[in-house]
Formats: sequence, structure tokens, C-alpha cells
Amino acid sequence: MSHVDEGTLHAYLDGELPSGERAALEAHFAGCATCRANLTEERALRERATAVLGSARPAERPAPPLEQLRREPQRSPWRVRRSFAWAASIALALGLGYYMRNPGASPMASVPPAPAQPVAVAQNRAVATEEDKTPARPQSQRQRRPGERQASRPVDEVVVAQQAPRADSAAPALRLADSVKLDAGAVSGALARAEPDRAPPPAAPASIVVDGAPARRLASAAWPVINRRLARSILGEEPVGLPGLATRAYRRAPGTDGTVVVEQVLDSSTVIQIFQRPAYPYDSSGSGYTNDEGRSRPRVYASEDRARERSSLRFGRFVRGLRVEITGPLSADSLNRLLEQVAPLPPLP
Amino acid sequence: MPDDIAEVYRSTYPALVRFLYRKVWDAERAEDLAQEAFARALVHRPENTRGWLFVVAANMARDDARRAAREKRHLTLLKSEPDAVHSSPEEDIDAATRTKRVRVALDELTPRDREALLLWDAGMSYDEIAAQTGLARGAIGTTLARARRRLVEAYDAGLEGGQHVARG
Repeated sequence: MSHVDEGTLHAYLDGELPSGERAALEAHFAGCATCRANLTEERALRERATAVLGSARPAERPAPPLEQLRREPQRSPWRVRRSFAWAASIALALGLGYYMRNPGASPMASVPPAPAQPVAVAQNRAVATEEDKTPARPQSQRQRRPGERQASRPVDEVVVAQQAPRADSAAPALRLADSVKLDAGAVSGALARAEPDRAPPPAAPASIVVDGAPARRLASAAWPVINRRLARSILGEEPVGLPGLATRAYRRAPGTDGTVVVEQVLDSSTVIQIFQRPAYPYDSSGSGYTNDEGRSRPRVYASEDRARERSSLRFGRFVRGLRVEITGPLSADSLNRLLEQVAPLPPLP
Repeated sequence: MPDDIAEVYRSTYPALVRFLYRKVWDAERAEDLAQEAFARALVHRPENTRGWLFVVAANMARDDARRAAREKRHLTLLKSEPDAVHSSPEEDIDAATRTKRVRVALDELTPRDREALLLWDAGMSYDEIAAQTGLARGAIGTTLARARRRLVEAYDAGLEGGQHVARG
């Protein structure tokens, strides 16, 4: 193998080489001091360029509610649509109002079906409705009914049911804040139920869980620790994280979900968890990202996953082939900002 | 099925503003354009929302730059000149100066190299950059390598030039 050209080095550093090529390249690095030196040089260049570009960025301001964009005055054909949208949202509001007063009457399409536990679901809806009226006291609401639910994933369902009616009405920023608060309540509620005798272990990193599946998130503290190489081979590409932060551990989810969590240390008392799994970011039909050989696992989301994806508010984005979510004991704003910075971790030399 | 635009809005809006900012160099204008792009996406409901948004945003930024060049040739986007009296050390150069230097350095790149670099910085994959720029996927690494090198060199050259002026 002749020396590696800089384009390939950058593709390697960007985590964009197919795994076969990557392995060949790494074998070459092992025996070629010149290419190792070049790699070091290009890595420094890459970091420098990122820093230079990063020094020219606008002050980040919160995005206005998406709804507002819809209603912004535009050209004339737009106005027709606007009035139609307006009428539709009133109709939706009326419909929701009716629904909220008859929680069991008409099943919502966006609530994931749980045919095995219809009773549990109905109860959750009732709880969700109460919470909408008194959002400041979600925890006490929950603790008053401790023994009533044996469903294994009650928290998920509460979150979904409670967020669904709001999906089109409130400002995203507000909903973001609400969901953080309520989810936190849900989590401590879940903790209180699951472990009545002892407080959560102090090592558990996330006190705010901003995701539709807080139960899974909590359990992640017990996920098996793996090394970097295994993380990469599970994901099919370099794991992502916040460049410059120390990585405390890599863990993998039990089962074949393909989820890996990267735990990074923000400061002595703050640990950020970055959940990631292979996903189709843009093409759910299955034709994209097919150049990853050796994957038997279906890469299209299960429909349940997809329903959760749509209905839960979370700090997630796609970083190339990975679906990435971030959690940590920080404000919604900070988490969002951190999520923006998530990038593939530089490959091991 | 089209992507959930609300989800894309949350995850992509800041990156789109940043992308546009580095084309129009005006934070408010970048926000306006990003919002306009999303407003259009709400109407058009494209299949691949994110890719579509960046294409539309790039076009809008280009139109915007042409219009700005026509209408306000005199406008200097950096309104406040750095205070020349404070001959500040390198660490203290204010954000406006730094931004201006990055801007000048980015102008040194070819449009295609610049586009690839900005798209990468906005979180796009090689596949997406290839789709958007028309470059072959296999050429993206080389393009980015060249763009990065040129950016850093031009930026450093700008620093040296700036120091010359300050000292001279």
C-alpha cells in the first residue's frame, strides 16, 4: 500500500470511511510511520479548521415557535392556507377539549397501542389529564396512586399520552421546558415506586431525563461497560460525543437494540450521557446507508419506536448514520446547545 | 413519508442559522432566512426535510447576497470597527474582528470547497454533501482536506497581515 492521501485521511478522521477500508487503513498505520505522522498532522489541521470556523458563529437565540412561522404573513395564496390552518387548529382544539373531558371515549391515534394492558393505559390517560390542569404537582399526583399500575413501562405511556394533545398547540420552547419538568417528575415518581427503600445511587448521572423513555435511561447506569473498539463495532462507525470532554465510560444496552451510551464528564459533578444507535436519518424506506456491510439487524425503526419518536420531545438529532440523544443534569437550553456540538469522536490512533 | 418537520426544526434550526450566517454575515438576516426556509418546508412538505432545507437556504442566501450587493453596496456588515487605539493582544481581539477574519479567510476558498466545509460544519454527512454539491462521494474527503487547509492558511495569513497593520 502506498502512502495514504490526505483526502482519505480526512474521510477517516471524519468517521466517513466504510469499515472495511478503515480496518485496512489502520493496519497500514501500524506499519507506516510516515502515514502516522501525516495522520497526526491532518488531525491537528482538522481541529484547527473547526476552531477557526467555530469562532465565527451567530449568538444563538431560541427558535420562534414553528406555529408562528406558519402564520407569518406571506404572499396572497398563503393567506388562504393560513385561514384554513386557523380553522383547522380551532377544530383541533375543540376536538381535544372534548377528548380531554372523555379520556376513555375515543382512542387517540398517536398513543402507542398497548392491547395487553387496556386498563393501565386508561388510567394513564386520566393521570395525564389531571397533570395538564396542575402541572406543578406531577410527583404528588403519582405518589398518591402507587400500587395501581403494574405495567412495566408506565412512565413511557404517561409521557406519550400527556404530550400528544399538546403537539400542535403550544410553543416548542415552552413545551420543551414543560416536558423536562414533567419528565423529571415522572422519573422521580418511577424511582420512588421502583426503589422505595433507598435513594437513587449518587453515581447515577442523569437527574433530568429528556426523552420519551426515562425508564430505559435510568437503567443505563447498570448497562455493561465496553471499550471504545466494541462501541465502534456496535455502531458501525465512530461513536459520537463532545470533542474535548473526557469520556468516563462506554456502555452498551442489553439486548440487540444496538444502542451505545457515551458518558462524558463536564465537570467534577456533572456527567453527560450521549445515547446513540444506528438509524436511518432521512430515508425510512430502507434504501439509504446500505454501504455498511455485515449488518443483519434491521435498521429501520420498529413502528413502536417510530411512534415514540414522533410523540415525545427530546433532545435528539442525527449525526450521520447515528440517532443521537443527550441527557444530563442541565437546563434544556444547555443540553440543546451541547447536542449541537456532538460530533464523531476522533478515531483511536 | 415526510419527516416530522417539528422534530427537524428543533434539531436543525441552529445549524441552519449558522450555515446561513456564514453566507450572509448578519445574524438577524440569517435567522429570517432560516425561518423562511422552514415556512416554505411547511408548505412543500419535502420528503427529505433537512437536505431540502439546506438546498433552499443556500439558494436564498445567494439571492440575498446578490440583492444586497445591488442595493446596498456601501453597507458594511461589521458596523463597529475594532477600536484601533487599544492595540489589543491576540487573545483580546473582539468577536467582530474574529468574525471578519474568518469571513475573509472563507472568501479565499472556492465556492465548492466553501460549500462542502459549511455543510460539514452544519452536521451533514459525506453522502448528503455529495448529494447537495454534486461532488462524487469519494471526492468529499479531498475537498474537505483542501478547504480546511486553505481556511487555516488564509486565516493565519490574515492574522499576520492584521498584526502588520497594527504595528505599522
